[in-house]
Amino acid sequence: MDLASQLHSSILSQSLPPPSQTFVTSLIATRNPPPPLASLVATAKSRLLACDLSSSPSLDSASLAVFPAGVENTHLREQSLQRDTHVQVLDVENLSLSRWEQIEELESVEKGERTRGREIIRVTADQDGSGEPQQRATPSNATHRLVLQDRSGKKVYGLELRRVPQIGVGKTKIGEKLILKAGTRVARGSVMLTPETCQVLGGKVEAWHRTWTETRIARLKEAIGGDQRQ
Amino acid sequence: MKVLCVAEKPSISKAVAGHLSGGGFQTHNTRNQYIKNYSFNFDFGQSWGRCDVNMTCVTGHLTQAEFTSEFRNWSFPPPEALFDAPIVTNVVDDKKAIAQNIAEQARWAQLLVIWTDCDREGEHIGNEIVEAAHKGNANIPVKRAKFSNIERAHVISAAKRLVNLDEKQVSAVAARIELDLRIGYAFTRFITNNLRPLRGPMENLVISYGSCQFPTLGFVVDRYFRVKNFVPETFWGIKVTHLREGKTVNFNWARHRLFDRMAVVILYEKCLAAKKAKVTKVQKKPTKKFKPLPLTTVELQKAATALLRMSGQQAMNLAEGLYNKGFISYPRTETDRFDRGMNLKALVEKQTPDSRWGNYARGLCDGGFQQPREGKHDDKAHPPIHPITYAAPTVLSHDEGRIYEYVVRRFLACCSEDAKGEASDVELQYGDELFSAHGVIVSERNYLEVFIYEKWDNTIELPKFTVGEQFEPTEAMMTDGKTSPPSYLTEADLIALMDANGIGTDATMAEHIQKIQDREYVATVDRGGQPAGDPEQNDDEPAPASRGRGRGRGGRGGGRGRGGSGTTTGRRGIKLFVPTQLGVALILGFDRMNFETSLGKPFLRKEMELKMKAICDGHTTKDVVLRESIAQYRHVYMESQQKLHVLKSVSLAPCDERHHP
Repeated sequence: MDLASQLHSSILSQSLPPPSQTFVTSLIATRNPPPPLASLVATAKSRLLACDLSSSPSLDSASLAVFPAGVENTHLREQSLQRDTHVQVLDVENLSLSRWEQIEELESVEKGERTRGREIIRVTADQDGSGEPQQRATPSNATHRLVLQDRSGKKVYGLELRRVPQIGVGKTKIGEKLILKAGTRVARGSVMLTPETCQVLGGKVEAWHRTWTETRIARLKEAIGGDQRQ
Repeated sequence: MKVLCVAEKPSISKAVAGHLSGGGFQTHNTRNQYIKNYSFNFDFGQSWGRCDVNMTCVTGHLTQAEFTSEFRNWSFPPPEALFDAPIVTNVVDDKKAIAQNIAEQARWAQLLVIWTDCDREGEHIGNEIVEAAHKGNANIPVKRAKFSNIERAHVISAAKRLVNLDEKQVSAVAARIELDLRIGYAFTRFITNNLRPLRGPMENLVISYGSCQFPTLGFVVDRYFRVKNFVPETFWGIKVTHLREGKTVNFNWARHRLFDRMAVVILYEKCLAAKKAKVTKVQKKPTKKFKPLPLTTVELQKAATALLRMSGQQAMNLAEGLYNKGFISYPRTETDRFDRGMNLKALVEKQTPDSRWGNYARGLCDGGFQQPREGKHDDKAHPPIHPITYAAPTVLSHDEGRIYEYVVRRFLACCSEDAKGEASDVELQYGDELFSAHGVIVSERNYLEVFIYEKWDNTIELPKFTVGEQFEPTEAMMTDGKTSPPSYLTEADLIALMDANGIGTDATMAEHIQKIQDREYVATVDRGGQPAGDPEQNDDEPAPASRGRGRGRGGRGGGRGRGGSGTTTGRRGIKLFVPTQLGVALILGFDRMNFETSLGKPFLRKEMELKMKAICDGHTTKDVVLRESIAQYRHVYMESQQKLHVLKSVSLAPCDERHHP
């Protein structure tokens, strides 16, 4: 087997989104002689997980499954996915917490404060290191809702029917890739997520994630503004 | 050999003289009507043996630190000069006769024994006594009696085991006094000078700053905005009920509630589609409700405000009175564990005459006694608050009686067994959803019999369910509700916040809370929204005879009338704290002027409090602490001066505009 096919099949064996032929050949051609297979696979993995699944030319559209027609139909109580479907995360929300609770926490972190029980703790940027505010541990009965997008650009909700430990606000990255296994159930336009049917592949689209983080407070506020008007 | 003993207040002096003399002492008047000198004989043992003793007292702090007269003017020299202006410490005018009495008595004595309360302030007052004594006898040796209640055997054993005055604690208090003076005066003048010219409500006010008061006010303002800005949201849930054996069992949804309707509809439909629920777990196990921990000052204040409808300050004054009369142990303590060596059973025994809890105490003596739980705090100075002797209701005022009752019931509860019961849990899977029901049957109430402040009631007894059984629930409903705002702070909440954030010591918290009300930075409303009309607050309490820290200590003039506090016991609801317009302006002003180190936040003060502790532990010195803390506050001062317009503009803004920081 030539290097290109070896690389191609290694990528597929990791359940990564199937790459296009051009992606594989150009990756091999970057250096001459090409680096060992293992490092090629690692490079391929990080690029594929960081790409925009809905439009990237690095992917092989023909072998990527998309949501069935009518998946978003809220009148349909029950349907299921026929094929393993790669999707990317566009949004993640914890439905167990009120938006206001989340706004209060984000605002106090912005002010450099955090509470531990009744104690107010001053947080300085360097103490944290990561630059990204750490989240409180998510309790096991939390329920998250994701916005998922397939290769065709179609967006549907994904609802945690049972807790998937890798999902969480602060944990899940925007642009992160998942596989929804064949047989995954869909109810009223929402894909039911369970640890058995939802495989988290990782990755993120850096720019999307940054924007999502920066605009989170604004989105939460808009959401409760809407709630009030009802 | 002649010995001079000096206590912190008249009641202690008299009680100690009584115990040491066995009742046979002679009383001599002094130039201060409240202060008596008692003379008697006592055998101190150790190297001193039998001595002629003169026992007298002070009334709290003798001296006061103040700036020299060049700094009397509020605007010149400018307030920032107070950060390093000279400070003089003098005997307060109305204490001169007391100081002189000590000097005269010391002249004839070969040993001075300090009997002030055993805490940091007491240590400093002890040092003030030493300085007064040196005026009469510059070389007099000094010892200190270490005691935490005025029960006879305890006092006698303290007299036979004298220790030295702790210089480190004296330095810590001296540092605290100097910092409070400099920082308090500098900021008070700065704020007042700058806000008064704005006219309006502030025209004639002195806007006083205190390094504990401001963070305390900060908590109140913070909660006020959390309530004001709150936005309610709708949530949805699923409730399953099942009727069996004539009982209705409510099953709670494991997800509790979700803030999205569609998501709940989807999950609810899956339940309905499944038709039958399956029992996944049935469990019965013994459960307990733990008896309370031994009583600390903070817990006493929380209980008094939440259960007895008193202010923390009232509670402390009453507890102080009970201690001075020898009924309870020293009421300022952080310790929540009893020393294993203490004879607690004997203390329980003393409560047997009471008509309310006497039988219960008898039961503990007859075999029910259990060693109390041990908390994690030990201030190494005082045991938890506990009753020393029995006080019949007739010898106490109404409010004293209520505090005493709480202390006794809490103590008896501590010496009891935990309450016991049986908990049953049933878990269901219904569709993909999990539900659970929980029931408790109380079998032995134990400590709850005497600790009437806590409840633990039976819930329904769950009917029989078997693992694996399937049934169709009687009802499954989708429910909805709205979130509601947090409530304004109660005094108990505020004390808890101060405690968690190191604002004030357990002994001074109540005082700071009173201060921010007196200053009109916060007001109280009764739960339900009416202002708590409280015009004749504490008017029967003689004003403490001055001590700088004004925490109701000493200076009660000895013979305080009994039963006089009846007028303060009007039935009040739980009070809630809301900031006034001025209170809001001050906190927002400082928050915006000093983003990093706002005086409205607890951080700076907490640091200072930790430094006091470090001085006591010998990890740092007074001079280092003074230098560091003054530099920090001076920095805040300079920053505030540059951004003064910010403070002025919030103070002028109509209240509504401030609601959205």
